[in-house]
Amino acid sequence: MERYSVAFVLALLLAIGVGLVTGGLGPTYALYLIGLVGMYMLLSLGLNVQWGYTGLINFSVAAFFGLGAYGTAILTADNSPIAGGLSPVLGLFVGLLLAAVLAVIIGIPTLRLRADYLAIASLGLAEVVRLIVLNEREYTNGSAGLRGIPGFFEGWPVLSTFPQAMPGLRIEVIPGSPIVLQQPFYQAVLNVGLVFVFVAVTFLLLRRVHRSPWGRVLRTIRGDEDLAEALGKNTYGFKMQSFVLGSVIMALAGVFYAHLNLFVSPGDFEPINTFYVWIAVILGGSGSNRGAMFGGFVVIAIREGTRFLNGIDFVVLDIGPLRLLAVGLLIILVMRFRPEGVLPPQRELIWPSALDDADVPGPGETQRPHAADGGDGS
Amino acid sequence: MSVLEYMANGLVFSSIIVLASIGLSLVYSIADFANFAHGDTMTVGAYSALVTFGFVGGLGARFLGLPLGFFVALAVGVAVAALVAVITEKVIYEPLEVDSIGMLITSIGVAFVYRALIQFRFGSDFVEFGIQVLRPIDALIPFGIRVTLHDVAIVASAAVLVAGLHTLLQYTDLGRKMRATADNPSLARVSGIRVDRITLWTWVIGAGLAGAGGVFLGLYNQISPRMGFNILLVVFAAVILGGIGSVYGAMLGGFLIGMINQLTPILTDIGIPIGIEYANAIAFVIMVAVLLVRPNGIAGGQGAGT
Repeated sequence: MERYSVAFVLALLLAIGVGLVTGGLGPTYALYLIGLVGMYMLLSLGLNVQWGYTGLINFSVAAFFGLGAYGTAILTADNSPIAGGLSPVLGLFVGLLLAAVLAVIIGIPTLRLRADYLAIASLGLAEVVRLIVLNEREYTNGSAGLRGIPGFFEGWPVLSTFPQAMPGLRIEVIPGSPIVLQQPFYQAVLNVGLVFVFVAVTFLLLRRVHRSPWGRVLRTIRGDEDLAEALGKNTYGFKMQSFVLGSVIMALAGVFYAHLNLFVSPGDFEPINTFYVWIAVILGGSGSNRGAMFGGFVVIAIREGTRFLNGIDFVVLDIGPLRLLAVGLLIILVMRFRPEGVLPPQRELIWPSALDDADVPGPGETQRPHAADGGDGS
Repeated sequence: MSVLEYMANGLVFSSIIVLASIGLSLVYSIADFANFAHGDTMTVGAYSALVTFGFVGGLGARFLGLPLGFFVALAVGVAVAALVAVITEKVIYEPLEVDSIGMLITSIGVAFVYRALIQFRFGSDFVEFGIQVLRPIDALIPFGIRVTLHDVAIVASAAVLVAGLHTLLQYTDLGRKMRATADNPSLARVSGIRVDRITLWTWVIGAGLAGAGGVFLGLYNQISPRMGFNILLVVFAAVILGGIGSVYGAMLGGFLIGMINQLTPILTDIGIPIGIEYANAIAFVIMVAVLLVRPNGIAGGQGAGT
């Protein structure tokens, strides 16, 4: 499975590469796709904290993502009815704060409930948030959405003028189809850099906390909540912390999206966005950070790949239902044939110092030296 | 509009929600998972009836302002919804080896597949049955109530179906076995009840009622691929309010949630600035509040007493 997943990601990157040199895919768009992959990695990492580590079924991913995006957009967008023109860094903090507050509001009534009740309730509360954003026009601009959002580095020294300052380049790998690198390309470079920093920081933070005593309690809660209670742990408190942490990471993805897309609308709160992230996590393997990253690639392949199919003349299907069908079938097939996901967590669940003494293979894995996969396996 | 008229609308909408909630509650108690494909099963019923009505539309005399062909279409909608659910159970749910959360997630995939296939065939626009819109019943207008014969037909049909289900559950062998299985599947199994067969019948009845609800929802509003998913959470609210697993609780919860939904405009009338656009949001908030104070719902009991 490991090999197939790596092959899939490589094939996808190869397709992007081939598209690039043949001119079928603009370099700016390719970078945009990579930025989106990064965004889905963030979202999956966030959901992984809640579902993968702690076993919380959160069906309000889109609400946290949307609040992150709206939080920064309301402060920075040109047509924001409230503020507008403020620094994106301020927007970042407001977006994350809004998500943390919503997480507590949703968490207080629902985290004590049975798992399937949390699923239903969180989906319902996410719809309430969507309805509020859609209908409270004097604060959110309603269905028109917010436009004129600046890039994240607006107002920063050097980086804000970086795209203008870079020279235009013309590369001709294959004669007749030159690649032209101009201002939008450098803007996209900045965006990819930004999401890379976000993902890297999140990833390192999560790896740290997951292996901390705090993370071990979360895993115990997922495995056997009564046991965690019996050990004297305040499971409700731990669940709440995990819920807020995951939600803030989702909002971080939303902040990135707002400054990538430069436009946000109530459509960003649609439940389908929640299920894209769920696909990424359950397909990759719940609790597995590598899986979360793999899932990010697959979701982009579904979302953007269907767009390409539509460009082919003999495909007459609408892309909307095609995506829906792909998402639905993928959910069913994964649950039927590989409910643990293609890259289930292995070493991530093992205390790192234990690995120094013995190499413990995960389920379905053959024995191999642990140095081969970079040591930490996550 | 008068309070009486809101209540009349509430009764019509409640009838639809009740039909949907019963099925959701039945499947929740016997198959033991929250079926997120239930709303889209309603959509399947609505579109099947739409197609059938295209063939038999002009058929026969009129009854309650509806051509007899509509009732044929209704029957087909019920049958197709039940058939689709049984096939789904056999092909997808039965072979699964996951817990109830896994089933829940799978049912979301099933919902998407239903909806995608409907969208491929019918597009994503709103459509209607194309039955002539009736004038409100003259006799009721002096009371400030504007309802059409179609609304009466919806309430009457729902009442017949609910009464039929009540008879089935209380007075037939199948009904008794269903109640026993819902109460305690393992005990039912050792008592010699063939639980697999009961489960299949539960799908037939639950999805059939959902199909009927979908057809009426299409008659009441319009038909679109998202209609079922849009109403699903309202139905969950009704089921949770009534108490998951209890059929009579689902009826009561469906009635209350449908009423509350249609009475929302009164809030604006008395000066609370919460408009009709928040009707669904109110249902969800009630749902969460119920979960918080009384997780077993009004009808109480631990997954009990159908």
